[in-house]
Amino acid sequence: MEFQSCFDIIGPIMVGPSSSHTAGVVSIGKFTHQLLGCCPEKAIIIFYDSFAETYQGHGTDKALLGGLLGMDTDDSRIKYAIDLTKQYGMSYEIRLEDRCPYFEHPNTTVITVKQGDCVVKIGGASLGGGLSKIFMINEETVDIRLSAGDDFAALANHCQSRSDLMVKAL
Amino acid sequence: MMKIQSMADLVQACESEEKTIGEMMLMMEAKKTGKGKETIISMMEERLIKMKEAIDDGIKDDSTAPSGLSGGDAVRMNGYMNQGKPLSGQYISHAMTFSLATSESNARMGVIVATPTAGAAGVLPGVLFSLHKNDGTSYKDLVMGLFTASMLGYVIANRSFISGAAGGCQAEVGSATAMAAGTIVELKGGTPKQAVNATAIAMKSLLGLVCDPVAGLVEVPCIKRNVMGTSIAFSAADLALAGIESRIPCDEVIEAMYKIGKDMPRTLRETALGGLAMTETGKKAKERLFRKKT
Repeated sequence: MEFQSCFDIIGPIMVGPSSSHTAGVVSIGKFTHQLLGCCPEKAIIIFYDSFAETYQGHGTDKALLGGLLGMDTDDSRIKYAIDLTKQYGMSYEIRLEDRCPYFEHPNTTVITVKQGDCVVKIGGASLGGGLSKIFMINEETVDIRLSAGDDFAALANHCQSRSDLMVKAL
Repeated sequence: MMKIQSMADLVQACESEEKTIGEMMLMMEAKKTGKGKETIISMMEERLIKMKEAIDDGIKDDSTAPSGLSGGDAVRMNGYMNQGKPLSGQYISHAMTFSLATSESNARMGVIVATPTAGAAGVLPGVLFSLHKNDGTSYKDLVMGLFTASMLGYVIANRSFISGAAGGCQAEVGSATAMAAGTIVELKGGTPKQAVNATAIAMKSLLGLVCDPVAGLVEVPCIKRNVMGTSIAFSAADLALAGIESRIPCDEVIEAMYKIGKDMPRTLRETALGGLAMTETGKKAKERLFRKKT
């Protein structure tokens, strides 16, 4: 039972064009932003499968970058996220791969973000309808459900201490 | 309160508690989240208002989407509807116009409400605001309709899928249309059982629909499929309100949708590697767009 609330079905309020390729991805980016506690200075983004095939058309890159910059799903600046990364001093690289080795779903991404000494690697899947799941933090399997209305700061705080340990090991 | 995991559970719960499907969703949400019903209703109302804003923006915006693939059709349809007597009648033609307006806004990266997804965001607002326009269904009732729709979508999403990448367009526009059909029935005073029958009938008519967006964009054929969804939703609702039942129970229809989606090749699940995306015109559009971008 991945879908738990009426607002998982009616919602999120979001900028188009795709709930799974835009809104759900904004949430994965935003969670990563919260976990890091700020905008990353560098991000390496791997798009798998359906994301790799269609990211340009759906603005999946803009959505993820917008989230990494701290935007929510209904932020109308998402369409300018590529330009905004320069303003925020974030460099990024997008890699395309066929199938995600960590998680079985067509809409998956693995993001490695860096800020100073801190490096975090996050695996996220967009399940549809704007609902997402974080399935990996660094090399550890997790199961964190993200819905656009959730308090991402609280969710990130919840796993902060553990991931801090992991980061030092990298 | 019993746990609702299927349409059969849902009908049984509604009948034994003498509640509508919408009321059942509201109760369940309040119980799960601990939030007051008034808070939950106002959150849903916010979504209804956003839907109306997307329609109002879309209906007068004849600009082309950044891709050049869509735009202008909501204005065109609105003009046609206001001028003459549309063959499909007032209910359906209003729904078609509002659906176009919403889905065109979505393609422009405008603000919309996913119902259940952005790709299928046109069906439900189209149907709801057509009811408002044609028989004065109040906003208060439309909000309850959104609870009905979300309960139907909740069961579908948990038993099957609602994303095109996972299960094809049948999972997106199919699910949205099924939700809309059941919602119309409940707003028109039908029983929960009739609403679930409408859901089944609507979903059956879209089983097997592939997800084949040109250049991977949520525009062609997605926008017009939303429009067609509104028309199927009204037809299915009429059948159910006439007392006609789906010969295959709704839960089995949902299961069939799931199995069909699993069997669907990857090329027809949103990857833009098959179907309309790979027609001559579809391929040209993709070449033009990606050449321009890189």
